[in-house]
Amino acid sequence: MQIFKIKVLIVFSLLMSQLQAQKKEYLFSQIPDSLKENADAVVRLNQIDINIVSQRSMNIKSQRVITVFNEKGLSAIDAFENYDKKISIKNIEARILDVFGNEIKKIKRKDFKDVSAISGSTLFSDARYIYLDYTPTQYPFTVVFDSEIESSNTAFIPSWYPFKNYFVGTELSVLTVNVSGNLGFKKKEINFNGFNIEKNTDTSTQLKYTAKFILAQKQEPYCAPTMVFPRLLMSLDSFNLEGKDGNAKSWKEFGKWYYDEILDGTVQLTPETEAKIKNLVGTETDVIKKAKIVYDYVQKKSRYVSVQVGIGGWKPMLAADVDRLGYGDCKALTNYTRALLELVGVPSYNTILYGDSYKRNIQSDFVSIQGNHMILAIPYKNDYVWLECTSQDDPFGYQGKFTDDRTVLIIKPTGGEIVHTKIYEDKGNLQKSKGTYLLDEKGSLSGNISIVSEGSQYSNKARLEHVHPDEKEAHYKEYWSNINNLKLGKIVFTNDKDKVTFLEDVSINAANYANISGNKLLFSINVYNQQGNAIKRIRNRKYPFEIQRGYLDTDEINIVLPKGYEIEFLPDNFDLKTKFGEYKTEIVKTEDGSLIYKRFLLVNKGVYTNMEYDEYRLFIEQISRNDNAKIILTKT
Amino acid sequence: MKSEILISIIILFLCTYSMKAQDFRLGKVSIEELKEKVHPKDSSAVAAVLFEKGVSNLIYNQTSGFEIELVVKARIKIYKKEGYEWANKAVRYYLENSLREKVVFSDVATYNLVNGKIEKTKLKSDGEFDEVINKYWGQKKIALPNVKEGSVIEYEYALHTPSIGNPRDWYFQSDIPVNYSEYVTLVPEYFIFNTNVKGFIRPTINVVKNTKSIRIDSKERVTNGFGGAVSTNFTSDNINYTETRTTYLAENMPAIKEEVFVNNIKNYTTSLEQELSMTQFPNSMPKMYSTNWDAVVETIYKYDDFGPELNKTGYFEDDLNQILKGVTTLEEKIAAIFTFAKTKVKWNGYYGYSCEEGVRKAYKNGAGNVADINLMLTAMLRYSDLNANPVLLSTRSNGISFFPNRTAFNYVIAAVETDKGLILLDATEKYAVPNILPLRDLNWFGRLIRKNGTSENVNLMPEINSREFVSVISAIDSEGVINGKVKQYHVNHEALKFRQKHLLTNKDNYLESLESRNSNIEIDDYERENELDLSKPVIENYSFRDNKTSEVINGKIYMSPMAFFAVKENPFKQEVREYPVDFGYPIQEKYTISLKIPEGYEVESMPKSMTVDGGEKIGFFRFVIANNNGQIQIVSTSDIYSSIVTPEYYATLKDFFQKSIEKQNEKIVLKKI
Repeated sequence: MQIFKIKVLIVFSLLMSQLQAQKKEYLFSQIPDSLKENADAVVRLNQIDINIVSQRSMNIKSQRVITVFNEKGLSAIDAFENYDKKISIKNIEARILDVFGNEIKKIKRKDFKDVSAISGSTLFSDARYIYLDYTPTQYPFTVVFDSEIESSNTAFIPSWYPFKNYFVGTELSVLTVNVSGNLGFKKKEINFNGFNIEKNTDTSTQLKYTAKFILAQKQEPYCAPTMVFPRLLMSLDSFNLEGKDGNAKSWKEFGKWYYDEILDGTVQLTPETEAKIKNLVGTETDVIKKAKIVYDYVQKKSRYVSVQVGIGGWKPMLAADVDRLGYGDCKALTNYTRALLELVGVPSYNTILYGDSYKRNIQSDFVSIQGNHMILAIPYKNDYVWLECTSQDDPFGYQGKFTDDRTVLIIKPTGGEIVHTKIYEDKGNLQKSKGTYLLDEKGSLSGNISIVSEGSQYSNKARLEHVHPDEKEAHYKEYWSNINNLKLGKIVFTNDKDKVTFLEDVSINAANYANISGNKLLFSINVYNQQGNAIKRIRNRKYPFEIQRGYLDTDEINIVLPKGYEIEFLPDNFDLKTKFGEYKTEIVKTEDGSLIYKRFLLVNKGVYTNMEYDEYRLFIEQISRNDNAKIILTKT
Repeated sequence: MKSEILISIIILFLCTYSMKAQDFRLGKVSIEELKEKVHPKDSSAVAAVLFEKGVSNLIYNQTSGFEIELVVKARIKIYKKEGYEWANKAVRYYLENSLREKVVFSDVATYNLVNGKIEKTKLKSDGEFDEVINKYWGQKKIALPNVKEGSVIEYEYALHTPSIGNPRDWYFQSDIPVNYSEYVTLVPEYFIFNTNVKGFIRPTINVVKNTKSIRIDSKERVTNGFGGAVSTNFTSDNINYTETRTTYLAENMPAIKEEVFVNNIKNYTTSLEQELSMTQFPNSMPKMYSTNWDAVVETIYKYDDFGPELNKTGYFEDDLNQILKGVTTLEEKIAAIFTFAKTKVKWNGYYGYSCEEGVRKAYKNGAGNVADINLMLTAMLRYSDLNANPVLLSTRSNGISFFPNRTAFNYVIAAVETDKGLILLDATEKYAVPNILPLRDLNWFGRLIRKNGTSENVNLMPEINSREFVSVISAIDSEGVINGKVKQYHVNHEALKFRQKHLLTNKDNYLESLESRNSNIEIDDYERENELDLSKPVIENYSFRDNKTSEVINGKIYMSPMAFFAVKENPFKQEVREYPVDFGYPIQEKYTISLKIPEGYEVESMPKSMTVDGGEKIGFFRFVIANNNGQIQIVSTSDIYSSIVTPEYYATLKDFFQKSIEKQNEKIVLKKI
């Protein structure tokens, strides 16, 4: 009996010590120093296990363990899950560990915050999320976050990011995928090169990746994370979207499914509307002219209101409802425009893409649901005319900077097709300035200028037409921040939507523009278009950089000098040609004693290596310096 | 002749009449309203409120008792596409059971002019949405149908709330023009409200008293005799009372607009806030809530999650005794306790003068809201025999409290009264030091409450200068390149700001942005002193190479005396100013620069020394320059005396900045000997 007792005691104490040993986990001291470098937090483990049970059911378990060093690292915790009618959260909980790996707090589901996910331009949606709201009491600390969700939307397998944040090191990131049955699972690796990512398993039903030891990344200008961060796209040939089964191995099949299942039956309109639109178009037969009439009608009638409920998040509102309510989101307004065009015999196609001023392509070699925006394509002369239906102001067919130059998916009744939207050439993104200024004996300036903007520069300017006068004034005071004491005179705009050109006529004056020192006047000759000096020096740049859109600025300015002064010094003509573009300035003396200042700046679009960044910085710096070149006048 | 005058009077009368003849009943939209292309007084307006009428009725509900029914009717004109957002409306309501509110929209419609005729489109249920924002708040939203440029929209909503203590604020003014805004309160004699009107434009007030009656049904169970049958008696009483009907009316309110350096635009928007100050029911003693600052403060002091929390000390005594071992002087004591409080309990980001967790629990968990932390701090200071008290205040985001009410405050800090004056402490901010409060606290006056319940105003605006002190030793070469060394001190609030903004920033990134902010000079040998020694200024040391700010033209060197430190743009660009300019705290910026010119060069010309006196409301700028045999010495000092500059001094302020900036950008010209 006695012996037995002792045995029990020993077993018990063994158990205890084991338990205690287990309790200490993720010690701060175990993080390698190199991972701490430049890091506000380190992801100790990011384990994602995706289990696709059937075409209509997917289970995702995640465990994230993050050691946070300071306040800036809090955003790396990412302890939240989205949910709605199709996604349910089975489990969500967190534990907080101190620097020595002792548990100091446990947070249960009910202590997470449950909030609506409506934000920005969305008026209503049934999307919600649950998130961890924890106030750290000490740094560093570690969060162990566990969650499990179930979703029937197998059309969306979340992409895998071995790491997501800047200034966060990653110790271990693991993805496993299990697929039951033959659902046609596929994947695509993007930007994997150069990172320590290992593929452990890769069969038609099982997949495993391990990413280890990824150092904290610094953010660098002119480089978006999508350009360089690794990610894995995943998708099924046989999927389910909001209760609708789909099957697509090609874009053609995908488009056909989308057309038949989602778009079909959404374009009926009332006979009154039909009569109205036919009456508006009248006897017009030209496709473009008819489309212009319809587009103008939609622009005047509708506004952008986004409501995303259930499949409404993917299926456009009925055209008849848009007609009655006068609003809708991008899908609804695009589809409505298509319905109206159809009534007057103009075929058009809904087009899925990523809408963003940062150009982003649909991954054309990976058939899956992608994109975040919809526009309309009208086939015309072996090409397409593109309509942005959410805008009440855009000129017909203009793509500005939100949808230009990118790979998109067109949905035709016969199926999907991958095409590329309109490319605005560097030289077509034009700003042409022509003006004059006059300097008086006291160095004060008065002048006027006309600025014509085209191509992508049009969209920078056209918005000025509708802004509040105060904002307009603020724009010019910023644009001409080089002119101290700037006072704006008359401002006249001419917005030619047919030619897509925007003309600004502005008159200005500025007291004491020129510096007076002794009997001399000193001033920058380039008053109206100075290159801002905004290119940072980056220590040890790692990533390539991209100039997404090129442009061309030309200036021709007539300068009338004050009486009683003669020119002591004129800057030399300047000519610079690099791979990044061309820059040229020239000063011509005219017979009547005035000067003509000519400036030409062409910046090329392109992707350049990290090594070329300093050259680019120098290019801009030289321009900036020369833009600031001074004239010196001496009193006679 | 006479008849002509008469006719013109009649015409005049008719004109005024027809101008006034707008019909403020829902559904009575006029063709004139629909035809209007721009707002008659503000052509830039994207939309305008044609009228908005709110009736706040304090009523008796047989089942739930007194409640407020707020009914709002509005008509809004949409002039431009940019005003379409005004065709979406959202009203928030409280969700938690005991104080649950209810919002019902009705009579929602859009009116358009179609071929000269008025076309009305009603809102159907598919245009109405109900969102549960979080555990506490929901919101009803509507999106009006068929909205175009020129449309007029109308809606009505009713909000029922059991929270009669704090009726919702009424905003007469908006960021679009408001032609007519009327707010009516109906209050039975049993309730007295404090009312405060904010903003530059005052509404007119009209008070009428009416006699009303409430029927109160009650039932009583009566037992007839010993062991007898039980019956229920129903009684119904009619009670007469006086109801006060107050009408606030404001007309032709211009759109409110945002400006830079504004503390909180809400302070200047014409609005009305109310708070229950007293109740007196028949046959009972009056109950005071808040009538003056003392009463407000007393009420707050008595709240369970305020005053009593100050008396708890047991939870920290042992720890604090350890901390205070060997600490003797008053200053040391305060510093030690303040540091202890800051490290012991971390702020969870929530405001409030009421404890969320309670001091004891917050102490144990190491996290709490503003009150948890600063009431705990006050208790610790008191425990250590210091004359410490809490100070209630309203943060900048909460606006300024002009009249006594409990919601005027949303925050609490601690104060110690000493021989040398008051020392203010806010332990929610980890980089704060005694008397340097975070910017959110700097909002005019706070209210200090003593143990005996008395209270007094405390000025929160800092009177001591915060300083940026820069010392530069540099030399320019014949190419126009300046090399030098900088020592820069950030003192008081500037130190706090620097620590908050930059301590956690990656060093390389900080330097990259420091370089790009300073004309892209190149910075090396960068070092910081006193990063975490909060009692001392933050000091930055670095060497620089500046080949950007000077020019060699025709063999002469043109340079700004302040090099890359010169401020190039006036922050005040607006021509006129509507609201006070708020700097937060008085500040001095001082640069001491020594510059050696290259061998073989001499000064051809240089700016003259100068002072700009902005007056006592603004500040003083002094620029002193001297040349001692090729060694140029510059001392440039700019003082901003006060935290707030009122609009009447705006022109002077703008000019003050302009003159000092022009001086900084004048050129030194160097030529070869």
